[in-house]
Formats: sequence, structure tokens, C-alpha cells
Amino acid sequence: MTRNLFQSDWATPMLVALTIGLLISLFNPAFLATFNLQVLLEAVSINVLIALSQMVIIAIGQMNLSVGALGGLAAVVFAGLMEVFGLPPALAGALALGVGLAGGLFNGVLIGMTGISAFVITLATLSIFKGLNLAITQAQPFYEIPDAVKSFGNETLFGPFPIILVPAAVIVVLMVVFFNRIPVGRWLLAVGGNAHSAELSGISITRTVIVAHCLSGVLAASAGILLVARLQLGQPTIGDDWLIMSFAAPIIGGAILSGGHVSTVATVFGVLIVAQITQALVLFHIDPFFVQVVLGLMILAAVGANQLRDLRLQRAPQE
Amino acid sequence: MNRITSTLTGAAVLAALAMAAQAETKVAHVPGGPHPFFADWGPASVAAQQDFGLGAADYKFPQKWELNLQNDLLESLVTQGYNAFAIHPGDPVGSVPTLNELVGTGAPVIAVSACVNDPSDVAFCLASDAGVSAYHGTKHLIEAMGPGPKKIAHFTGWLVEPNTQLRIDGVARAAAEAGVEIVQVIADIDAPEPAEEKIGAYLAAHGSEIDGVITTAWVPAVVASNAMRRIGDKRIKMIAIDHDEVVMDAIRDGYVVGSMLQNPYGQAYVAAFAADKLRNGCKVSDAAPFGDHPLTSRFIDSGAPYINASNVETRAEVDKALTAELLQRVETDFLSCN
Repeated sequence: MTRNLFQSDWATPMLVALTIGLLISLFNPAFLATFNLQVLLEAVSINVLIALSQMVIIAIGQMNLSVGALGGLAAVVFAGLMEVFGLPPALAGALALGVGLAGGLFNGVLIGMTGISAFVITLATLSIFKGLNLAITQAQPFYEIPDAVKSFGNETLFGPFPIILVPAAVIVVLMVVFFNRIPVGRWLLAVGGNAHSAELSGISITRTVIVAHCLSGVLAASAGILLVARLQLGQPTIGDDWLIMSFAAPIIGGAILSGGHVSTVATVFGVLIVAQITQALVLFHIDPFFVQVVLGLMILAAVGANQLRDLRLQRAPQE
Repeated sequence: MNRITSTLTGAAVLAALAMAAQAETKVAHVPGGPHPFFADWGPASVAAQQDFGLGAADYKFPQKWELNLQNDLLESLVTQGYNAFAIHPGDPVGSVPTLNELVGTGAPVIAVSACVNDPSDVAFCLASDAGVSAYHGTKHLIEAMGPGPKKIAHFTGWLVEPNTQLRIDGVARAAAEAGVEIVQVIADIDAPEPAEEKIGAYLAAHGSEIDGVITTAWVPAVVASNAMRRIGDKRIKMIAIDHDEVVMDAIRDGYVVGSMLQNPYGQAYVAAFAADKLRNGCKVSDAAPFGDHPLTSRFIDSGAPYINASNVETRAEVDKALTAELLQRVETDFLSCN
């Protein structure tokens, strides 16, 4: 049982996350303060959706460079619909999710139907989505966010647990079920693992690619909506720096970039590791000029630990 | 005969129009990237076109805050017929070759709201003195915190932005003079997500250890204002920068002490005026009383008024008066039109 636990793909990221949390709290007890944990969980709630948005594309062996641009577009659509047209938050949120779905569909159809590399297509659509964002906003934020949305993004259920953790947690559970219990989820992994074999077994690659990109778009849009609630404004720059996070967390979580293997739970721990590192850099007064360097080194260290675990597992049957 | 006369008249009119079009000044206001600070550049362009009779005055921004995107946009604008530029340089050194190329086409170029390193061919730099503004902002913060040993945190913008290091130095100078300790500088957070994450984490862990916060970039000012409102006890004093509505509301409600403004509207408006004058025969005066600036010897300080609870409701008038004064100063002191 214990052996199974430690052989699971999320064991290493979980141990790394726990170790980092323990070390930080030993050196700086303020890390465990309620307000600090709340800030940490708020960051995790949103970043986990960003990471999952990329993870579903990594599952099929592709990459989506437009995650941030699409999430940002959905965010300003959400904020803009409430400010300019006075739509209620629920309707504006649904329409913003629709934008995410449409953007994902656009990506998926272009990639699935043309066979052009996802890298190239999403590089192009990144520019399109960002351009639409700037055309809508003229680079200015939407400020008139209803109080209900602001409360949703900034209040807690109890203790340090923010309300926005609820939708994030629900989505994580749904994603676990999707990849482990739903046929379409298994198709994604099958196509990522070996597209040719998947096709021979009757799985439509085009349809699977489209489904993956639609899901990615909706997840990115969800992150954008939650970020508007948390920031209390619709900033046109939302999404601009999602790319590193979107790749870092799934990779730390053991995702194989060539596709076929991802872990939702491990990705959540990957997000937690990055969020803890980001907080630690602030808590320990790291010189701002070295923050990016330290972040990169810590991510490399986490990836190295994951690789070490894989090597040990490969050697285990030979012993 | 009549037909020949009408043809010749038509040709003459067309030629005159073409010459007039050639003589018209088309000003492009180009920031380093999309950012709420430049919101007023659009209305300033429209007002400048009307007030100064310009052929065009347009606000054009690159898709991202990247130097190569700004350079590409500038080159594209030249081919579109723009012949005068008011530019927030994306990089104090990296922007210089492209700006020099623009000047080489005969277009006057004015660096606005941030300067480039000398030597360059830009006419001059019209901006708030970022370092001095940060210095004065910190002085206001020290005054608000009151006497005794104090600790402050400084939240600022992109490290590649020309003004960031000047601001870090300005805050450090004021703090050193007053014996105030800067316990943390958090930079590279002029975007919502990193600002929210890092400012939130810092205030959560160290909020009880500091007495004041100075912010010297737009987004950190907005995020920190919201954080002060969330903390709610008003113990930590904060001085912000710029005029985002979130900051202004926080000043009205007492969560933020004040803010150092930069008047981006006035900067863009006056830059369009000066660019037009330079295109039409005026020169930068040999006796121009340029101010001191770490990057350039051709610096015009556009001012950095301080807004607090006493004048937050009259901010528009403060900006208007500053703009009028700046326009007159540039015309009389810095341009020679004989």
C-alpha cells in the first residue's frame, strides 16, 4: 500500500510540496499565518486552472501557446459584458466560457483539419486572441465589476479557504474523473501515447484533438473569469504571463511532453510547488533581480527530483 | 478649351492638396506596450489634432511590452505617412537605434514619459522625473508615518522599464536621508497576476513588521490599494503613483495617503504640439534650460503633482493647470521658432 502510494505519479510532487512548505514554515512561521495561506490558496485556485488548460493539450502530445491570450480574452469579455452591457455576472460568465470554448474550437478545428503543428497554429491564434483583447479594451481595464463578483473573488468560506477554491476544486475532481473514467479522457491519452495505434483502434484523432482544445479553452476562460473576480477589474494584460506557469506545473507533475501521460493530481501539486516558491522568494527577501533565476533553478530541481524517481522505478524490477 | 482649363485646374488643386498633405504633421503617440498608464494618450491625441490643426494625431500601441514589437510598429507607421513621433521608449538603450532611424527620415522624435540614454537624436525627453517623484513620494510617506524608526516596503514595475531603477534609487535616497529602513523591494510586478500574488504574500507574512508602503508603478499601486482596503486597519501608510480610479477611491476612503501623479495627458498633448513645431521650422533652443536627468542632458520635467485627500476631487483641474503651464514653458523656453 505504502509502496503503491510512493510509486504513484503524484507522490514526488506531493513530497516536494510538503518539504518546501515545511522548510519555509520552519524558517519563517509567518508562512502558516491564516492570511498567508489564504493568499497561497487564492493563487493556487487560479493557477491550477491555467495548468490544467495546458495539461489537456500536453496529454495529446501538443502544446497550446494561446492559453494566456484566450484566458485574457475571456476575462475582458466577462468584465466588459458586465460593465458595458450591464449583464448579470452569471450570464456574462457563461458567455465568457463560450468565448473560451469557441477559441478552443477554432484552435482544435484548425489543427485537426489541417494537420499543421499545434505550435504554429496556437502561435498564430495567440496573436489573434490578444489582438481581439486589445481591440475590445484599447489596452484599458474594465473597472465596473459588480460587488457580488468582487466578494466571490476575495472572501473566504472559512479560515484561509477562499471561495474561489470551490470551483477550482470541483474542476480538479471533474478532470480526475474525465481522465480516469470517461472514454473521451482515455482517448486523449491514447492519441497522445500513440496516435497511429489509437486511430487503428477506432479513435478519431481529429475529433479528439478538437475536444482537447475545446476543454483547454474552457479551462483557460475559467481561470480568466476567476482572475477578474480576484483582481476586481478586467485588465487587458491578464494572461500575458501564464505560459511558463502553464507548462511548469504539469511538467513538475510528471507530464510527458510527447503526450500519453498526465496526472491531474500531480499537476495540482506542481502548481502548489511553484506558488510556494514564489511566496518563499518574497518571504525571504530575495533580491528582485534574482527572482526569475531562483524560480528557474527551483523548477529545474523539482523536475530533476521527478526524473530521479522515474529512474528508480525503472531499476526496481531488475533488483 | 473649357475642358483643358478644368483639367489644369483640377490638376493644380490636386497638386496643392498633395503639397498640403505633405506639409501636414501626422503625429503618432507610441507607448512601449499596452498599459493603463497610457489611457489618456488617446484623448490627448484627439485634442492635439483639433487644437493645433494637425493632419493626424493617433495613439498606436504594440501588442505586447516588447522592444522588437515597438520597433516594428514604428517602422510600419513611417510607411503609413506618420512624420512626427511621441514615444515612450521600450528600453533606454535598445530603443536608441530605431529612434535615430526615425529622426533620419526627417521626423522629429520626442521621448515621452521615459527617457533614452544619451547620445541619441531625439529632440528631448518630456517626462516626470521618475527618481525625483519616487524621492518626494517617499518623503510624503515618511511624513505620514510620523517620527521614530520606521520600516517600509517598495513595490515597483518592470526591471527593463527605463524608470524602474531610477525609482528604486529615489526611494532608497529618501529613506537613507530619514534613517528609514527599506525591508523589501519587490520589482517586476507591473502585471496583475504577479502583483497580486507577491504583494499579497508579502503583506500576509510581513505586514505586521512594516509601517509604510511606497508603490512606484501603476499595477502594484492598484493591487496594493486593494490590499490596504482588505487589511482595513489603516495602520500601514501607503503612497501610490498615478491616478487609477482604484487608487483615487482608496485615497478618498483613507486607505491610501496620497499618490504621485505624472499627467500622461499633458505629456502627450504637449509632445504633439512640440513635434509639430519642430517639423515646421522651429528648433530646440540653444539656451533651453534642460533639467538634470541620469539618462539624458535634454530633459524637460513635466512635473509630478502630489494628490491626497485634500485635492483628490480636483485632480482634473490639477492636471489641466499643469498641462497649460507645461505647454507655455515648452513653447517659450525650449523652442526657438525664429
